[in-house]
Amino acid sequence: MAGPVASLVLGLPDAAGGSPQPQPQSRGRGLLRTLEITIPGALLLVLLFFCFIWPLVYPVPSPTYGSVLNANLPIWSPGHIFGTTNVGYDNMARILYGGRTTFEVAAGVQGIGLVVGGLLGVIAGYAGRIVESVLMRVLDILIAFPALVLILVIADSLGQSEMHVIWALCAFSIPATARVARAGTLRLRDQPFVVAARLSGVKAWRIISGHIVPNLMPQLLTFSLLGTGIVIIIESGLDFLGYGIPDPAPSWGGMIAYGQTVMSVSLSPLIVPSLFLFGTVVCLNLLGDGLRGRWGVR
Amino acid sequence: MSSASEAGTAPAGGDVLLEVRHLVQEFVLRDYGRARGGVLQAVSDVSFELRAGETLGIVGETGSGKSTLARSVIQAPPPTRGEVVFEGKNLVGLSHRAMKPVRRHLQMVFQDPFTSLDPRWPVARIVAEPLAAYAVGSRAERQERVSSLLKLVGLDPVRYGRRHPRELSGGQAQRVAIARALVLEPKLILCDEPASSLDVLVQAQVLNLLERLRSELSLSYLFIAHDLALVKQVSDRVAVMYLGKLCEIGPVRDIYRQPLHPYTLALLASIPDPAPGARKHGTRSVISGELPSPLNPPSGCRFRTRCPRAQERCALQAPELRAVGAEGHLVACHFPLSDGAPAPGREPAAVRG
Amino acid sequence: MAGPLGQLGRRPGGTSVASSGARDAAGPGQQPGVPLLEVSDLRVRFRSRGETVHAVQGISYTVEPGRTLAIIGESGSGKTVSAYAVLGLLPRTAQVSGSIRFKGVEIVGLGERELREHRGRNVAMVFQNPERSLNPTMKVGNQITEAVRRHLPLGREQARERAIELLQTVRIPAAERRFHEYPHQLSGGMRQRVIIAIALACEPALLIADEATTALDVTTQAQIMDLLLDLQAQLGTALVMISHDLALAASYAEDIMVMYAGRVVEQACAEDLFASVRMPYTRALLDAVPRVDLEPHVLLPVVGGLPPDLSKVAPGCSFAPRCPEAQPDCQAAMPPLEEHETGHWWACWHPCTKEAPGELGE
Repeated sequence: MAGPVASLVLGLPDAAGGSPQPQPQSRGRGLLRTLEITIPGALLLVLLFFCFIWPLVYPVPSPTYGSVLNANLPIWSPGHIFGTTNVGYDNMARILYGGRTTFEVAAGVQGIGLVVGGLLGVIAGYAGRIVESVLMRVLDILIAFPALVLILVIADSLGQSEMHVIWALCAFSIPATARVARAGTLRLRDQPFVVAARLSGVKAWRIISGHIVPNLMPQLLTFSLLGTGIVIIIESGLDFLGYGIPDPAPSWGGMIAYGQTVMSVSLSPLIVPSLFLFGTVVCLNLLGDGLRGRWGVR
Repeated sequence: MSSASEAGTAPAGGDVLLEVRHLVQEFVLRDYGRARGGVLQAVSDVSFELRAGETLGIVGETGSGKSTLARSVIQAPPPTRGEVVFEGKNLVGLSHRAMKPVRRHLQMVFQDPFTSLDPRWPVARIVAEPLAAYAVGSRAERQERVSSLLKLVGLDPVRYGRRHPRELSGGQAQRVAIARALVLEPKLILCDEPASSLDVLVQAQVLNLLERLRSELSLSYLFIAHDLALVKQVSDRVAVMYLGKLCEIGPVRDIYRQPLHPYTLALLASIPDPAPGARKHGTRSVISGELPSPLNPPSGCRFRTRCPRAQERCALQAPELRAVGAEGHLVACHFPLSDGAPAPGREPAAVRG
Repeated sequence: MAGPLGQLGRRPGGTSVASSGARDAAGPGQQPGVPLLEVSDLRVRFRSRGETVHAVQGISYTVEPGRTLAIIGESGSGKTVSAYAVLGLLPRTAQVSGSIRFKGVEIVGLGERELREHRGRNVAMVFQNPERSLNPTMKVGNQITEAVRRHLPLGREQARERAIELLQTVRIPAAERRFHEYPHQLSGGMRQRVIIAIALACEPALLIADEATTALDVTTQAQIMDLLLDLQAQLGTALVMISHDLALAASYAEDIMVMYAGRVVEQACAEDLFASVRMPYTRALLDAVPRVDLEPHVLLPVVGGLPPDLSKVAPGCSFAPRCPEAQPDCQAAMPPLEEHETGHWWACWHPCTKEAPGELGE
């Protein structure tokens, strides 16, 4: 029976002091862990602010209106920090509004995935037997399709629009989240505290809402967060291929596609949106990792 | 079977509260890689009685099936075969709805309090949960009951009510688990090794608490443990299990003073004898060999592969539980130790020959 | 007619142990008179989130070659941490001060390379959970040969032979076959024997068993303890058993050291300790354990409260808040560990003075 110190420091299972907690860190590592969460988090918040709130208070030029006279201005031009496109649209505005789309899609996809997928997974895991088999087989079918092909087919058949992109990507996020939720539920269902709740006559839905879901949330949230990066990349990929957000509505993927075509002439139309995409995804991953460490999710 | 109903006559006996008849719990294991599957009979034809107001201790080692037995009684999961008659009603096969009124009177305390309490719930809410599930009283009344129960188990409701389990010590957390088990005023509590994950001094506190509650609230316990001394401390009657079968059952003093089954004797002899200065060399392990695989138990008597008294008959025929010696003392053995041989005492002189 | 134990075909006991001379004999290269392990004023501190946890607060003891010392304590007493210090296994967040001398060589402050030499060769440890100590993906025999070859210059074939020899020494039947098995194919008791075999691979002079039998069944526990005793007699190994079980200590150890909140509170050879228990904490430990010779439903004499918080070191005796014999001066100053009677040390201002028999029998 290791004591609280032995369990904490040596990683031995503790007898009387409580469930094992994360190892104590030297001050350096604790600081690093906090930075890992706060810096990406802050950057993302800044980006979100500029994408959603800034255009409401500051007269940002329209991303889809411009004069041909201003076409192809390079970066750092006065009034157009990121330059303009070949038809005079302001790139900075396109970045911001494109970012809006990106985040809206990401939030939509992961949100729906979390709620629908999470619910399906928890029900499957808790109910077991027939319900579980049926649900999981249906989801298995979705997962079995190569994700990108499935998304392209959906996007193509439904036509181009932001909502359709969200539906298409949900075919990816719902089964993935459901799997995680089901696995977590199976693990929790056999925990003595859930058995004890059943013994106390608690109804199934109350057990799910009171015991299973709250204990599952850290795992689901970090999974969603880490998956957001992938969703953004896929969405940008769709736009890049021309399947996602229709022109002239701005999107990072679309801007990258355009930047590729003028690469030999000027690099900035390619690099700027790429940097934003890359930076956003890295921040999301760092944040997800940091939270996972902080919350002790396996 | 008549012998099951004879396993009664306990000193603290009231009416029969729980009767287990021919309980069998099997698990089907699938083949996994190189490990062959098969049917694991964790509990094999176990029958006993428990009367109101008494504590029945179930003692056994790894693989004895004692924990599985407890889970079968509360139907989590329900047994493969057999009957569990609680307050006159057979629980096996009851629907979840029909079980609900029964559950009020039958509760359980688990071994590890940190996994039997939801780590995200505060203590007061944990103890109140059963009350909420049965919609007992108003919110204020429930709070009142929770407070009084926490006080009963020795925790100040004001100080501890809002804390979470990880802020408590092992002993405190186990008290919360006990309070929760008591909140619906049960008649029978199954204690599955409630003190084995606790430190020595804390263990004594919890055992004393359980003992006090027993007399104050007229409870009955089905007490599962692997520690023989502990089981003796708390029980009126004791049952010894080995590899899923009941070896011996009887009044506590009889079992410990005059064990009839060789396994019981071996268990008693294995208890560290705290006579200092005399280092026991080779005297303690009176049992040899390894526990057979529960997937493929020995034919006939399951203990025969390690029993120094085993004969041919033991391999051919499984012994039935029958009354031998003192009243209410049953043993499942073809050659029980029934010649008045005392249990291993402190004095080596008691060993003749 | 034979008595009960005779009926069980009890193995001849007591006589196969030669006189304790075999155990007391010094190991190879050991100077007579130099204790095998000498711990002086060992202190271990951990810094965690700005707080300092005083896990071990100045303990001293010696272990002679071939003898058995039991370190008894509950969670938080510092017994495990101090054992890890002897093995040099403490992480870098630990601040270790004081002295640990093994055969005269100082362990505290040694570099990782020397410590690796020291571990396994000089001292080996057997842990509580066999599952955690064995690699589940590696054959049992290979784990032993790995340990052997780490310290001894043996070829593969020789190491294999030694491994099988060790498996036989720890009384695992069909050793040749077991060599090729994986840990999950063995029972708990057998796994623990394998761990003992690994620990003994290089015939260390000192074996530390940290609650080695706590997770085992009582019958298996008896087998393992008997095995350890026999191995001691055979190899002259000294044994430090760490446990919370005083009865176990009484049965098997020659010397007993009781720890509480990072300090030694009572220390004596087993007979003296049980003849007259002095420290109220030791008394509480003895009283709190259920005993087979007691009547059922008897309430155990119990000490309330919890062990103290090791990040705050109070001025007085650490047991005083819970001690039934506490007086006002107990909280004022820490009682020193002193040899109040020959061979019997305790740290208490108001020890149990009556010749209270510590025996757990009548």
